[in-house]
Amino acid sequence: MPPLLLWQGNYLIYTEENMIDRNLLRNTDWILIGILLLNSILGVAFIYSSSHYLPGNYYVKQIFWIVLSSIALFLFLSIDYDTLVTYSFYLYLVLIGILGGILIFGTPIAGAKSWFKFPFFNVQPSEVAKIMIILLIAHVFAKFRRDYLSMGKGFLGVAIIAVPGFLVALQPDLGTAFSYVPILLAALFLAGLNRKTIIGILIFGLILGIFGWNFALKDYQKKRLTALISPGQDPLGSGYHILQSKIAIGSGGFLGKGFGKGTQSQLRFLPARHTDFVFSVIGEEFGFMGVVLIMLSYSLLLWRLFQSIGHSRDRTGVYIIFMVAIMIAFQFLINLMMIIGLFPIAGIPLPLFSYGGSSLLTTYLGIALVLNVKMRRFANV
Amino acid sequence: MKNNKIYEDLILVLRRSKKIFILIQVLTVFLLLNFWKIQVLDYKKYWEQSEANRMREIVLPSQRGLIKDRGETILADNKASFKVSIIRENCEDYDKSCRKISRLLKIEEDVLKERIKKYESFPIFKPIVVKENLSFEEVAVIEARKLEFPELFLQAEPKRFYPFGNLAAHALGYIQELSGEEIKNGLYQQRRLGDLIGKTGVEKVYEATLVGTDGEALEIVDSMGRSKGEIAKRDPEKGQNLILTLDYALQEKAEELLEGREGAVVMMDPQTGEILALASYPTFDPNKFIDRFTPEEWLDLVTSPEFPLENRAIRGQYAPGSIFKLVIDLGALELGLVDEKTVFTCKGEIEIYNEPFACWVKEGHGEMNLIQGIRNSCNIYHYQVGKKMGIEEISRYAKMLGFGARTGIDLPGEKIGLVPDPQWKREVRKERWQPGETISVSIGQGPLLVTPIQVAIYTSIIANRGRKVTPHLLNSKSQIGNKIFTEINTVEIEPSTFETIIQGMWEVVNRGGTGWAANVKGFDICGKTGSTQLISTEKYEEKKEEEEEEETKTHSWFTGFAPRDNPKIVVTVLVEYGGMGGATAAPLARQLFNLYRRKYD
Repeated sequence: MPPLLLWQGNYLIYTEENMIDRNLLRNTDWILIGILLLNSILGVAFIYSSSHYLPGNYYVKQIFWIVLSSIALFLFLSIDYDTLVTYSFYLYLVLIGILGGILIFGTPIAGAKSWFKFPFFNVQPSEVAKIMIILLIAHVFAKFRRDYLSMGKGFLGVAIIAVPGFLVALQPDLGTAFSYVPILLAALFLAGLNRKTIIGILIFGLILGIFGWNFALKDYQKKRLTALISPGQDPLGSGYHILQSKIAIGSGGFLGKGFGKGTQSQLRFLPARHTDFVFSVIGEEFGFMGVVLIMLSYSLLLWRLFQSIGHSRDRTGVYIIFMVAIMIAFQFLINLMMIIGLFPIAGIPLPLFSYGGSSLLTTYLGIALVLNVKMRRFANV
Repeated sequence: MKNNKIYEDLILVLRRSKKIFILIQVLTVFLLLNFWKIQVLDYKKYWEQSEANRMREIVLPSQRGLIKDRGETILADNKASFKVSIIRENCEDYDKSCRKISRLLKIEEDVLKERIKKYESFPIFKPIVVKENLSFEEVAVIEARKLEFPELFLQAEPKRFYPFGNLAAHALGYIQELSGEEIKNGLYQQRRLGDLIGKTGVEKVYEATLVGTDGEALEIVDSMGRSKGEIAKRDPEKGQNLILTLDYALQEKAEELLEGREGAVVMMDPQTGEILALASYPTFDPNKFIDRFTPEEWLDLVTSPEFPLENRAIRGQYAPGSIFKLVIDLGALELGLVDEKTVFTCKGEIEIYNEPFACWVKEGHGEMNLIQGIRNSCNIYHYQVGKKMGIEEISRYAKMLGFGARTGIDLPGEKIGLVPDPQWKREVRKERWQPGETISVSIGQGPLLVTPIQVAIYTSIIANRGRKVTPHLLNSKSQIGNKIFTEINTVEIEPSTFETIIQGMWEVVNRGGTGWAANVKGFDICGKTGSTQLISTEKYEEKKEEEEEEETKTHSWFTGFAPRDNPKIVVTVLVEYGGMGGATAAPLARQLFNLYRRKYD
């Protein structure tokens, strides 16, 4: 990397030499990294339990992804987040180019053009997109110094997620497109929402919803929404997944059936056992106790993330950490609601637990951003 | 430091983020309470459901659409058939079950296990077909021993049935089990392993129309496999019927005439492109393929040296021989190189470019004009016309008249044939074009290759005085795609030029020309015969050697249309190794013209 000189007023703040300063290492949040790895390893265990009899060696692949993502995480730490934020608009443009590109040139996998094919694995740019979105929103919103959000900034924010969101929805992958929304909402909330703006957003959302239901949603997506209201009505179709998931979880009871002994998940009644429904396997095999423990371990991660928000040198850092925390928290909450039928099956994975390289990589990169902000909090004092 | 960020006021944003964190904690607790309700309070209910959760998912097979001829005679039907499946979940001991079933159904145990292994990825409660087309005795045996075999599941399904067996087998095609590879290739996204799909012919081209939507039923069953009630059911939907342009009687006649030979017949309405008969011989019985298990008969057919599965009418590539002479005449007339009165003399042999070229009549035809040249199919006459034209113009007119390109018929795998020119020879054979080759091409020999369907289209262009249609099997009476085949192009040749050629073709049949044997009194048939030596390029070298030993191996062509004015039918006949076109193909064509006239005129 070329020597990086950043000038702040008349003072030279840091150069390449002190970028790998011992201070940075000392300020790295090793506890957060520890919690991250703990959850990742628990994830592998459940992926193993739910898919070891399937061809494909998913748990081995997940380990491979953890190693790869860890390397990516440490590489990401070596670049000051300020630099990333400065160039965020260009990163964003590259992202739009890629998302547009796969729509045109991509080969569909399971009916959706979401993937970039590599010799040994596939990557979903729509997942990694979240990082680019976070950086650009942080860039735009950190400069905003008023107590409440202005209309202009609000719409700029909407535009930032609307473009990639639209491209991803076309793939079609509505679930992932939908998961960009909370990132924006987080930023808007942080910038300050007064009552008028909240009402404005709600009306806009309602119009979008009505429009979406009538024009954009495909039949299977509508079915999922109606199945949510009454899963028993069409148990063979969309209600089937919810019903099977609830039976698996409920039959686990207080203590569960034991590792690898979940009859429902092992008997393959449960769909997408190692991906979106992996938490149902946890519920069945480890019972309520297991659910409590995993939720605790997950909450620990979220707590550490939220607690990091104060450890930032500037608003940019605050925005970044907050959006990463919301990104993970949102998927966690929605996934859990989904598997017990409180939310439509939208294909939103449980970060670190659901099998899937792109989601894992995105989570790691997000946490790398948090670590990045934290370790440089004294950089310019 | 005036811009020191550590003093930036972050209190407001920090307070806001804290609020959100509290909200998330509340939601987490709310979720935990939900889990408490499901796992602890409702535990018994879900536990019972999980115990009763022995489900059986049954596919209720849909019925494939029927295929009918233009008179609505059913060419592809469905009939009831029984199949038996294994449900692995109900096996007490899988290996023991397999042994018992193999004895009961008289299938080898290895074959049975291999079969089941193919569908390993199915959920354990899903039936896997192990034997089908059961006889009534077998059905009775299985039904009687039902309690002994809770893992067996008997079911009726509608099955494809071709009531006339071989009839129009090449046009109809056949159906077979979808292979794992085809699923992987993503061609049939809605289909499952084990589904039967159209593999060729109309069955393949109109697969999406013909196929119905399978229904599904989900039953709760006890450990003995007895149904405790249906949870859900979706009825199967029937596939859409197809009406073809084929005429049962003409098709049957065409196949009857070809019997015992190798060859092809195409009958087409020149004005619309509707195919009335499309026969290829030898043929096969598609009923024998509709099986989930590859039978030996199938392998026999695939490997047979006579290629019964090949649809010669659209995939057989042959030298056109003398029927190609009309291309030369049309081109030369249009270019003004010759006219009706141009006279050449045939002495039985001629030397061009220092090479001797012979006519098929040793003693020669003597002096003659263009029309007589066509009537007698004189080689010497056409060598000289072709020489005047040159290979580039010959190739341009051949392509204009439909050779060297797919006709666009609604059947899979159509071949394009070959129209040679110097560029082709440079690129493919890496050799220079020899002037002598132009002379061979002038009488339809040389590297030229055409398919019978192309010849039929070529004939229809002449019959229509320049209008070119797309041949098709789908009747416009069918509800799908009425307008698909209505596109008509016009060839850039003057109608008067066609009239001259048609006069020649008329004399071929009605004035004692080479095609006299095709004559049907009062039907004004116009036609052209051809006798040729080569088949496809793949066999080219091999055949060449054989020819040196046996010179009699000629293919026999006849193509023609009737009546002369306002033509209604084109008949193209090809008989492999049939000898002279006038002797073999023309009499067959006569019978087809005759039958058509009796039925439609």
